[in-house]
Order: sequence, then C-alpha cells, then structure tokens
Amino acid sequence: MMAAVHWSLWAAALWPSLLTACIPLDCSGEPGGVSRCPSITQEKLLDRVIQHAELIYRVSEESCSLFEEMFVPFPLRLQRNQAGSACITKALPIPSSKSEIQQISDKWLLHSVLMLVQSWIEPLVYLQTTLDRYDDAPDMLLNKTKWVSDKLISLEQGVVVLIQKMLDEGMLTTNHSEQSLLQYDEQPEMLESVMRDYALLSCFKKDAHKMELFLKLLKCRQTDKYNCA
Amino acid sequence: MKNMVVVGVLLLSLMPHANGAGFSPPGKPTLTSCRSPEKETFTCWWEPGSDGGLPTTYRLFYLKENIETVYECPDYLTAGENSCFFSKNNTSIWVNYNITVVATNELGSTMSDPVDIDVMYIVMPHPPEKVLVSVLEDKDWPFLRVSWEPPQKADTRSGWITLVYEVRIKLEEKDDWEVHLAGQQRVFNIFSLLSGGTYIVQVRCKPDHGFWSEWSSSTYVKVPNYFHRENSVWILITTFTAFIFLIVSWMIHMNRHSLKHCILPPVPGPKIKGFDKQLLKSGKSGDVFNALVASDFPPTTPPRCEDLLVEYLEVYIPEERELMREESKHLQDGFLKSEGFASDSDSGLGSCNSHTLLMDNSGEAKETDRRTDQERSRPGAEALTYAREDVSPDMSSGRVKTWPSVFSPLTPYSSGPTDQPGAKQHCLSDSVYPPGSTSPCSAQDLGLNYWEFCFSSMQPHLTQTRSDVNVSDIGPERAAARQQSPAPRPTEYVEVQRVSEEDMVLLQPVGPGPGPPARPGEDYSRVKGVRGHNVLLLQTEEEADGRACEELETKGAAHKPTACSHGGLPAPGRAAPAASGYVDTAMFVLPSC
Repeated sequence: MMAAVHWSLWAAALWPSLLTACIPLDCSGEPGGVSRCPSITQEKLLDRVIQHAELIYRVSEESCSLFEEMFVPFPLRLQRNQAGSACITKALPIPSSKSEIQQISDKWLLHSVLMLVQSWIEPLVYLQTTLDRYDDAPDMLLNKTKWVSDKLISLEQGVVVLIQKMLDEGMLTTNHSEQSLLQYDEQPEMLESVMRDYALLSCFKKDAHKMELFLKLLKCRQTDKYNCA
Repeated sequence: MKNMVVVGVLLLSLMPHANGAGFSPPGKPTLTSCRSPEKETFTCWWEPGSDGGLPTTYRLFYLKENIETVYECPDYLTAGENSCFFSKNNTSIWVNYNITVVATNELGSTMSDPVDIDVMYIVMPHPPEKVLVSVLEDKDWPFLRVSWEPPQKADTRSGWITLVYEVRIKLEEKDDWEVHLAGQQRVFNIFSLLSGGTYIVQVRCKPDHGFWSEWSSSTYVKVPNYFHRENSVWILITTFTAFIFLIVSWMIHMNRHSLKHCILPPVPGPKIKGFDKQLLKSGKSGDVFNALVASDFPPTTPPRCEDLLVEYLEVYIPEERELMREESKHLQDGFLKSEGFASDSDSGLGSCNSHTLLMDNSGEAKETDRRTDQERSRPGAEALTYAREDVSPDMSSGRVKTWPSVFSPLTPYSSGPTDQPGAKQHCLSDSVYPPGSTSPCSAQDLGLNYWEFCFSSMQPHLTQTRSDVNVSDIGPERAAARQQSPAPRPTEYVEVQRVSEEDMVLLQPVGPGPGPPARPGEDYSRVKGVRGHNVLLLQTEEEADGRACEELETKGAAHKPTACSHGGLPAPGRAAPAASGYVDTAMFVLPSC
C-alpha cells in the first residue's frame, strides 16, 4: 500500500519531466566551435533548470521519507545531526538568512548553485552502492536515487550553460575528482551505516531546496513575470 | 548540552525547598506547533501541563545546528500566551533548531520533549487578502471572476516564496463545496452558475513546500436571474415537440386500420362447419373429425333459411365468362371440398367437379367421413336438372364449376326427394334475392328449396336464384307449390352481375337478346332429376313443359321408378332447350341432392 502511494507520488513528481523530454543538453563541443545543440533562449533555459531543481527536490524528499520509514528506528528519527556527521556541504559559504541571501549577487547565486550540484554528484553515487548493500532496500528507493544522480548531472550541465550565457564567462571545467569527501572502504556496522545514509539524504534534501530557491530568486531578478509580482 | 545539565542541576537543587503540602512540581509542557508565515520568522506554541498549584513560569530554550550555545527565546510576547516569536534576525533557514520548553515553579521544573525543526518545512502562510468576486457576462451567460492578493507578509515578488492558490465555492444554503486549484495565478473564473443563487467564495494558498493556509473570510455574491431566457428556449422546445407529437398521433390514427393489419394480420380460421378448434387443441384427432359428422344428418327437420345458405358459390361461365366465387355465410354439413382439387387454394370451398362427383357416385370409400356420408345420402337425392352447354368436364379439370350452373325446372323433383328425405345438395349455392322479391323462405316454408334462375329477356339484369338444398323435403304439397315456382330453366348461363353483399350475388343472364338461343349441335337433354345413385330423369324436348319423363339408367345401378310431375311453369321468355333427348352421361354430375 505505502509502496503504491510512493510510486504514485514519484510518478506525479516526474510527470513534468515527461513533458520536457528529459534529455540532457549536451552542448559541449570544442571550445570556440559551433554548438551542436539548437539554440535556446536564456529565459527558457532558466525555466528548464528551475524545473529540474524542483523535481530533484521532490524526489529527494520522497527518498528521504522512504529511507526514514524503512531503516531508521523511530527514536532516532529527528536527530539527524546528532550522529556527529555534519552535512558535507557545511564548508560551503552559503548564507542562511533571507537578508543575507538577498544581498548575494547573481553571479554568486549561480556559482553557489554550481558548487552545490558538483559537490553532490559523487556522494549520490556512493549512496547508491551503500543502498545496494542493504538486504531489503526497496526498488523504488534505488530507482529514485539513481534518477536523482542522473538528473544532477544534467542540472550541472544546464547551470554551466547558464553561467556562460548570463555571466559571459568561459566554459568551466567540471572537476568531480576534486572533492571526494566520502571515503569509506571499510564495512561499517548496520546502524551506523543507516544513520550515516540518513544524514546524507537529509543533507541532500536541504541542499536541493537551496538550489531551487537560488534559481528562483535568480529568475525573479531577471524577469518581471506575474509570479514574481 | 553542558548548559542543559547545569540548568537541570540548578533546578534539582531548588526542589527540596518546596515541600508544601498539596503542591507539586509542574507538569510537563508540550510544544504543539511551530509555524513560519513567510519563511523569515517563525513562532512556536506550547501547551502547559498542570501547574501544581503554584505559579509556574515557562521558558523556551533552543539549540542551533552544530552550535553548542543554548539560546533562550527572544520574544515571549509578540505571539501571545505560551508562545515564542523568532524574529528575522534570529531565524536561519536550512538550520535545524532543537527547541525545548521548561516549566518552573517553586517546587521544581519540568522539561518538555525536544523538537527539531527546520524553518523551510514549517511554512504556513496567511490566507490570501482582498478577495474580490464580480459577476461578468459571457454571451448572456453570467460567470464569476474571483481575484485576490497574496498575503502581505509573504514575499512572492522576489521569488523568496512561491505560492499556489485554491478557490472554493458553494451555494449559501448547500453544504458541499466545489474546490478549484488555481495554480500560481491571482484570478479565477467560475462558470455554470445557478440563476438567482447566492454563492460563498473562499481562497487559500500554500507555498510550494509547506502547509495550506487557512481559508480566507467568506465573500458573498448573488448571481442575477437569467432564467427567463432559459425559460423561453424551453417553451419553444416544448411547443415544437408537442406539435410534432400531435401530428404523428393523428397520422397513426388515420392509418390505424392498415397499421393494425400490418402489425397483426388477421389469422384465417378454419372454415369447416363443425370443426372445433378447441377439440383440435385438446389433441384428439378422432374427436375432431367425429365432430364434423353432423349428428342430425340427414336432417329430419326442415332446415332453416340460414342453414340453406351455402358457403361457396362458384359460377363457371365458360366461353370467356369469368369464374366467380363467393363465400356464403356458412357451410352446411355434408358439403365438402372436392378432393380432386388440390390446386384449389380456398379452404372450405364447396366445389363441384363433375369428375369427382362421378367417382364419388361409384361409392368408393373416401378418407373423410363426410364424403362417405355424403355418398350415403346420395341415393334418393332429389332430382336436379342439370344441363350445361358446351361444357365438358375435361375443360373443367382443376376448376370448380358450378354445379349446376343452370337449373332446369324441377318438376320431377317431387318424386325423387320423397325417397330421400334429408338429402342435401352437393354443392353449395348461395341465395340471391333480388330486391323486392318475396323472401325465399316463403317458399322454404313450404319446404321448397331449390335453385331457380328466373331470367327473362325482359329483365336481363336481374335473376333470381335460390338455394336449392333440400329437395328431399319436397312433398306433394310442395310439388304443387313448386308449380307456382318460376318457370323451368333452359340451359342458360348466368353471369354474375354484381355482388350485393357478402353472401349475395346478383346474376344476370348471359346472352343478349331474348334469351339464350338454342345452340346448334346441341345434343344434350335436360336432366329433370336424379333419383338414386345412378338414375337420371331426363326430359325430352317435346315435353319441354316438363311432362314427359325418361328414365335413364346409368352404370348399372338400380333404378327406381320415378314420378314425373309437372315442373315449373314456363317463365316468360323461357326458351326451350334444344334437347334432342340425348343425355351425355359423361357430363352427369350426380348430385347428392
């Protein structure tokens, strides 16, 4: 029953992606060469990027609740931070109050988003491997995390293009190997692993929300549409 | 964490000092909810436990994520009783708050359960403001336009918060709401309204990830009456439908007979007198056929007028005369359809075929009882004159012929019939009563029933026929009466002039001029009568007046003495048959009369 509900929620969350034909924009040609993709306006690109971010947040939220339900014992549910491990992106200088955030420039907003996206690509891959290790991890959870990591990559590409268009900066190299914050070779015990993964999912959910908010702020700064009135 | 321990120790140390009777440390408070209306500030509310009878103070402490410092609630007042308000400066988003409420009185203090919150997930905006509902018209049909503003505090302009809205509407007197999701727009149209109804409209909103706000205050709107326009359309439709219905029903009424025939064609019933359908249904075929056997046959009492009506009259008029058939009212016993006429499709048709009757005369056993009865009744059948001109039985194969088409005077009848009371005519003939004539029953009363053709050249259009059924009843007095009967007939053919009723036919003589001329080559004689199975009484020419009788023996049957009596008086214009005294036995139609 719950699985059916989750599945339907996931399907509901993903339906916009069907409409937008989620094919990642792979417009990386030789530097200086003609782009192979058909041109897209900046506005549409921004909309699409925001849609991606919204979807990613929704799916991550569902994954987190699913994980919490299945693996986390009830008394430990709200104590995400007491496991000791802070969010991996804590080190990133992102303000946490509205006034501060409002003062961030467009450039800084975009770069923050890019940083966030890039820092989460690898941990999500890692999460998938750990989830496989659990005996009774539901397929839906695995599918969702897989989906999220795929979408994150395409989001990164979109943000890169946006930066290029909006800020007229050159192509940024995607350096994934730079930050490998998670290095766990040994096999931790079950509860510890569960709590760590739980913290990971919660942190990711939060960061997804950040990404979404930044992009929306960016959008409303650019245009004067009715939803930003 | 350390600070909490310190606080706890302090509180515990205070406890021994409060030993009052009936007082106790306060009960455990509970944090009920924390809400942020605009993602910039938030408020937490708690529910106090029992106060233990002593004045109790409540304090809220919180911890921020990964920061060791314990903070106390900055504002206890703004949000009201038992609440804590976190201002903008004290609010960080994406940061976990660990909040605890402590109740303290003289005897001790009690801590509530801690609650972890993140401001991002506790957003519940205020209801939308300035809800306006106006009635507009779209091609004479009214609709409602609902417009509103986002709550004042929510910063949608910069995109900090994205709100989606929901509108609900109901009739004032009803209970169920109609809910519409309006998305991110600020305007919504509602159609399909009840004319003259009063509606209540409410709006609420929700951030993209958060809780629904409360419903806005009710806005009342009255829809004007547009029903009269609706009404006129319905009146037109109703009138038109009624009109069409009237036309259709009138047409059906006019054609009801043909419709009835079309839908329920009348089932022809059996036309055999004495044939009882019920007996057949009951399944005993023996009974059915037994019922056909007339119990009162041969009739002992003089048959009534109606009994003499025969069902079928078949008039064969050769030489381009049409064959007419009629139905009579009813079929007498003993009349049957000749078996030789398989091709004859009429049921119950009395037909006389010279063939068959000839064969019948031989006394062969037939399948039906009726036929055998008939045969039995033949002996002593009355004398019937029969003459036909230019008719041979071969011609008539397969066709029913009148038997007799013409009757000659029946003078010798008296002799024959007396021997056979109850003999009946083989063929059916119909009674035809010319208008103004005396009722044939008058003759019948005398027991005289015979066929008569009264024709005269003077009255070509009118003939009189009477059914000649029961000649057997003719007794001496009848014979006398018969003499008053119309003149004997020559061999004449009649043509049916018209059918006056269902069972009456008016005949007229065939030939123009004064009666039928004697045809050359005619070598038939008139049969005065038939006696017995095989005796024919013939009339010679010189005894056209019906004086002489001749006996003819046929087929080796026994003969009987015949008594000739004077037959009918010659009718005016009666032509004597050109009889040469010869009778063609092949033409004999031996009646069973």
